[in-house]
Amino acid sequence: MGDVNLRQSRLMQRRASRRRRLAAFAGEGLLFLVTAASALVILFIFYYICRDALPFFRLRGFKEFFTGRQWYPSREPASFGALPMFFGTGLVTLGAMIVAGPMGVAAAVCLSDILPFGVRQAVKPIIEVLAAIPSVAYGFFALVVFAPLLQERGGMILSVGALLVGLPLATLLALVLGDALAMRLPHGPRAAGRLGLTALLVLGAWAGLGVLAARLSAVEISSGRNALNVSIILGIMAIPTVVSVSEDALFAVGRELREASYGLGATRAETVVKVVIPAARSGILAALLLGAMRAVGETMVVWMASGNAAHIPEPWYNLLAPVRTLTATIAGDMGEADHVTGSARYHVLFAMALCLLTFCFICNLVSEWAMRRSKAKLG
Amino acid sequence: MHLGTRKVLDRSFAGLGIFSVVLMSAALLVLLGPIFVRGLGAFVFRATVEHHRFILEHFGRGDRRQVQGRIAAARQSREPLYDMIARHEDELWQSFRAIADRHKAEAAVYEMIESREPDLPRALRAARYSLTEDGRHGRDALDALEQRWEVFEELREKVRVLLGPLPGEQFALLRKQYGQTRWGRAQVKLHDLLYDYDYDYSDPNQMGRKVYVPRVEQFEGTAVEPLFAYAEDNLHAMLLPRWTFYWRFLFDESFDAHFFGGIWPAVLGTLYLTVGTMLIAGPTGIIAAAYLAEYARQTWRVSLIRTCISTLAGVPSIVFGLFGLAFFVNTLHVSDSRSVLAGALTLAVLVLPTVIRASEEAIRAVPQTYKEAALSLGATKWRTTFTVVLPAALPGVLTSIIISMGRAAGETAPIIFTAAVSLGKPLKLWQTLSQPTPALPWNIYNLATEHEAVDEIRHVQYGMVLTLIVMVLALNVTAIILRARISRKLRG
Repeated sequence: MGDVNLRQSRLMQRRASRRRRLAAFAGEGLLFLVTAASALVILFIFYYICRDALPFFRLRGFKEFFTGRQWYPSREPASFGALPMFFGTGLVTLGAMIVAGPMGVAAAVCLSDILPFGVRQAVKPIIEVLAAIPSVAYGFFALVVFAPLLQERGGMILSVGALLVGLPLATLLALVLGDALAMRLPHGPRAAGRLGLTALLVLGAWAGLGVLAARLSAVEISSGRNALNVSIILGIMAIPTVVSVSEDALFAVGRELREASYGLGATRAETVVKVVIPAARSGILAALLLGAMRAVGETMVVWMASGNAAHIPEPWYNLLAPVRTLTATIAGDMGEADHVTGSARYHVLFAMALCLLTFCFICNLVSEWAMRRSKAKLG
Repeated sequence: MHLGTRKVLDRSFAGLGIFSVVLMSAALLVLLGPIFVRGLGAFVFRATVEHHRFILEHFGRGDRRQVQGRIAAARQSREPLYDMIARHEDELWQSFRAIADRHKAEAAVYEMIESREPDLPRALRAARYSLTEDGRHGRDALDALEQRWEVFEELREKVRVLLGPLPGEQFALLRKQYGQTRWGRAQVKLHDLLYDYDYDYSDPNQMGRKVYVPRVEQFEGTAVEPLFAYAEDNLHAMLLPRWTFYWRFLFDESFDAHFFGGIWPAVLGTLYLTVGTMLIAGPTGIIAAAYLAEYARQTWRVSLIRTCISTLAGVPSIVFGLFGLAFFVNTLHVSDSRSVLAGALTLAVLVLPTVIRASEEAIRAVPQTYKEAALSLGATKWRTTFTVVLPAALPGVLTSIIISMGRAAGETAPIIFTAAVSLGKPLKLWQTLSQPTPALPWNIYNLATEHEAVDEIRHVQYGMVLTLIVMVLALNVTAIILRARISRKLRG
């Protein structure tokens, strides 16, 4: 009797364990399916954007879209030259990176190498808040607060900004230059020569800046909704991305390299500029790319505050002219084009989206490759 | 390099870094400062008697007797002003009669003057053809009178905007039934009443400069001449402003294109969208994160999945909007046109990578010993994951979800084509499956750029921005606090 019972229970146990193993396998399969589905979404996005973008290229070809300067989608005959939009996107992204790049990297260096731990903990929330503020709030600020300010006191804002950024930089540059020139002097008068040269250069730099500021303060901005406004705001929006990614890269450089550099007698500045930043180069590149992606893909700020003029400014680097970007065009024109689904006017917006998508996809791949490389290099 | 220079460079380098951090904080302050100060103005402001009248008549709120007392007091001090207006109208009719006398008009003209029907400009036009002799001079006089009437009508319109309809007038449009509800706007409107503007083109090199001319100059020697001084001196008594904390701004429906009332439909729409997004993206994201953290091995399939997810994180938000339109609305037909459901699905796709990444990190942070203990007790891997690892990772997972909620609440571009409308009633829960909704981010855009009277409703725009930012920041602060707690716990 007991023997039978034992055999039966063993059988049941084996069955149960098999069932359990099956269940576990099925469960794992289910998990994999959900994960794969959420990854497949990106393919869906590519497919559905392509599906609506291709009819445009079939109807109108590539040349007009990429090289034409006339954007009149609702006129008869319509013309779909999107070059001004590509240019506008490029211009504001460039402007944003001029703001966010140096400031973001400097702030990241400051966070990783200069500030003590306590202060760092206090600064981090500032960056998080900057990242958390919704883009429409930035856009509202750009449109309602910043644009009128630029329009009324554009000259003053420009000159103050130039002084604020230029003074420290010019002074530093003058110091370095003075030192380098003094090294060429003969040994005897070198100390006095250095002092004199440096003083001369610094004064010269300040005078130059003064002239520049005076010139800028006379500038009149006819409309506050322009590329400059948008560039500054987009730059501020991109800063958190740049800071957090490049800080990670700087942190990953590790103590050993830094300590070796200090051990050779380098100052902190020299260590950072000559050792840490070169070692974290690919990580910083990734940070800049991700920041640029954020600026390229941003819709609300440019839609509200860029002026939405579909032509290339004269001269091309004129940041005070209104511009129009791809994202703003998609957002703005879809409302009208939606009623005529199937027309070139509808599909051209998907073509623009496809360009954005491709650009971001490439940027993402490059930044991922760069991050992986920096990780591999630093071990 | 000289040692001294190196030292200076080192110092200034540190200074440069700190300078950039300070600049960043300054940018944050400059950004949030005006939004907070003026946004609060939507809630706390000096409300005039017109505001309280509106609240009483539309919501039945407020102390009826007290409000009616204030309305009566305000009306009393408006009396002299209305009097002047009526007297000036009389004067104009008198001049009309004088012209008719001078030019020996027909009886029909006198009939119009006696009955004051139709109104003066129409009567003048009718009279042009019935002046008998010396028609030209008569017409010039009538033209001059018509001009005086136009100036007077403009004045009356300014008074209507400031104080509401004149005695005996009725309007259908809500914004014409009330005067200025906010003391700040009332002062702007008073300035409009006191001064007319003109453009000065004397300098041919510049654009025309705006010049303000006192309106009183147009009315010298008439009954309304003292009106301007009276309005300026007695504005306070006519509107009786009083500091009010209008917290119901958040919960009141909006009336007449946001001229009156609050922002509840938009707030509710944002809540629906945010919660709906999380109901979809939360479970999916957590499951994917659990798989990636606990089950996935280093195979090409898994690394492909990871690449896909990180690519998804880099897609511009407007592209998500187009995708939502093309896929959820036009292909799957989750609803006839835009709906909260379609918007939530689109937003869910947008926040999915964030949820997955942060949850995976949280799951990986669970100490290995937990898992080992569970496995050594004979639990299967499945059971370990779902009863030991996930509960231990819950706070971290929650943090990721809360941060993603903040992101979903603030995104505008994806909902433009999938979920948002500019005006609407607050939705019932079951309506979210099929109907679009106003939402804070979209309404901010819409009111700030496309509204018919952008300047009149600045306070609503600022109030909306403040509400949205406070919502998002509150979510983020919760997440930060939660994370600090977790790291303290993990440290021991």
